[in-house]
Amino acid sequence: MGAAQGAINFQIWQSIVVMLVCGIGAVLAQQALAVFNDGVRPFLLDFIQGRTARPAMAAIAFGLSAGFIFGLGAPMALATTVLNPWLLFLPVEILGLLAPRKWIAAIAGVAWGAVCSFGLVGATQVASLLPVDFLGSLQSMSGPILWLFALFPVIAITRQFGKMWGAISFGAELLVVLFIVKAAEWWGWSVFAPSVAMALGVVMLIVLALVKDHREKRAGNLVTSAEDEAVMDELFGPNAARLRKNIVWFMALGTGVAMVAASGIFGGGEATSFLIAKGDFAGAAALDAVRVLGFVPLIVTTALASGAYAMAGITIVYPIGYLIATLNLPVPATLGLAAVAGAAVFGAEILGVAAIGRWLGRWPSLRDSSDHIRNGITESLGLAILIGSLMAANTMGGGMGMLIVGGLYLLNEAMGKPVVRMAAGPAAVIVAGILLNLMTWVGLFTPIAAG
Amino acid sequence: MKIITGGVGKAHVADALKPLVRPEDEVVVGSDMQAGMALRNGTADYYLGTCHTGAGASLGVLVGLLGSARCHTFGRGVPSAEAVAAAVGSGAVALGFAIDQIDDVVPVVWGVLDAQR
Repeated sequence: MGAAQGAINFQIWQSIVVMLVCGIGAVLAQQALAVFNDGVRPFLLDFIQGRTARPAMAAIAFGLSAGFIFGLGAPMALATTVLNPWLLFLPVEILGLLAPRKWIAAIAGVAWGAVCSFGLVGATQVASLLPVDFLGSLQSMSGPILWLFALFPVIAITRQFGKMWGAISFGAELLVVLFIVKAAEWWGWSVFAPSVAMALGVVMLIVLALVKDHREKRAGNLVTSAEDEAVMDELFGPNAARLRKNIVWFMALGTGVAMVAASGIFGGGEATSFLIAKGDFAGAAALDAVRVLGFVPLIVTTALASGAYAMAGITIVYPIGYLIATLNLPVPATLGLAAVAGAAVFGAEILGVAAIGRWLGRWPSLRDSSDHIRNGITESLGLAILIGSLMAANTMGGGMGMLIVGGLYLLNEAMGKPVVRMAAGPAAVIVAGILLNLMTWVGLFTPIAAG
Repeated sequence: MKIITGGVGKAHVADALKPLVRPEDEVVVGSDMQAGMALRNGTADYYLGTCHTGAGASLGVLVGLLGSARCHTFGRGVPSAEAVAAAVGSGAVALGFAIDQIDDVVPVVWGVLDAQR
């Protein structure tokens, strides 16, 4: 496993790109133009209209984001040695919302970017010197995550269209995986099987949704009243105008996000970091391109309802960035191309956001699918991360490791989940890693050889 | 009473709710946009939204359509019956909570809604 490659290859230009995107992100958050946490966006409406004070707004953002920074972003970065949006953008938006001036936000953002890029290299180097290599063991999470993630469309289809279609889609995905694996043996294909299966599942989900809406429309059950659309235009119009007025800022943000995605040290989705760490940029692009579908309706509607956009937009810049990285151009060309592409994509998104919102209003099943997609991602990833955490525990400490990690997970459940469920496993692995190292140090634990 | 569920865990919330409600009650798995419209024109009584934080995807559109006074989030926690009663009593009809707490939150919320009719 070459996951450690990421950290070793962390070059100075990559750190500068990280600091740059964090600085820009903080400046946009300072003006309440963009936040990464979709939960924060609705609260920004009161902040923009002056009903919430800056410190209170930052406190809300911190409360909603803390679990995802410490529970998801940090362990994921340590496990993969690749940066992710939860670790970079969530703290950046808190700092930005806290900063009274734009320049203070910029400095704070750049500082956080430096902490992340240099801190990650330092942390992985220190951890590899410890007797129990718990960061190395976190790499055993990649198997379950990469393979089970492919099943999220099956779960979405089952929840939205029932048992029969669920079983059919599972069978279809299984056949595709079987075929691709065999094709690799017979004809030397080098496609990552779960990515293809996942793409097939998503296509099935979309076709089912469109067919359902089309049938309803023909039957006359689905009439979007002009009155409803007028209400939405009235409510969303000023917010869309606010976004358009600041399009230059958004294009600057797009530049930064695309450059960091093209740098080969950043994975945007939950499973992508593992592929980026292995250098499989094309696979990562396929994964995140499909994932976009789950987030378009969410991001577009919360943006229209609040007047603030998402830090990574509808996240289509991630796959575009990775694809630019596959070209293997010299660094200045890669960054230049990414900058232009990022600015263009964000510009187009801002100009199109009102139209996309109106269009989605006419296809309710598609909007519905988006909720089920995100639920499917949560359920499949939840299982994968839990199992991966136990596998990591086993690698690092055998039965003792599983006892500590499994115990901490169950304790978190019983206590009413102070740590987000999805983050509980990786967080427990890190706690167990520190504990096992301390126990080794005082002679209570003998590290398992060749961890 | 007509309740629309929405957000990431909408199917799960409806599953948790259906065994609890009376025969005359209606639980609809819907969307935030549809629920916002239904609550505005009075064709639905309550909206239960879910997402990872309990606040964003679950209530984002509702805050825009109904105003923040009629929306309330319990965040990532499990509220007490008193907290639910206080929120509903102050006019909240769109309630948001976190997907990993659905099984614990739904019975509490339903208990209050059921007692209030």
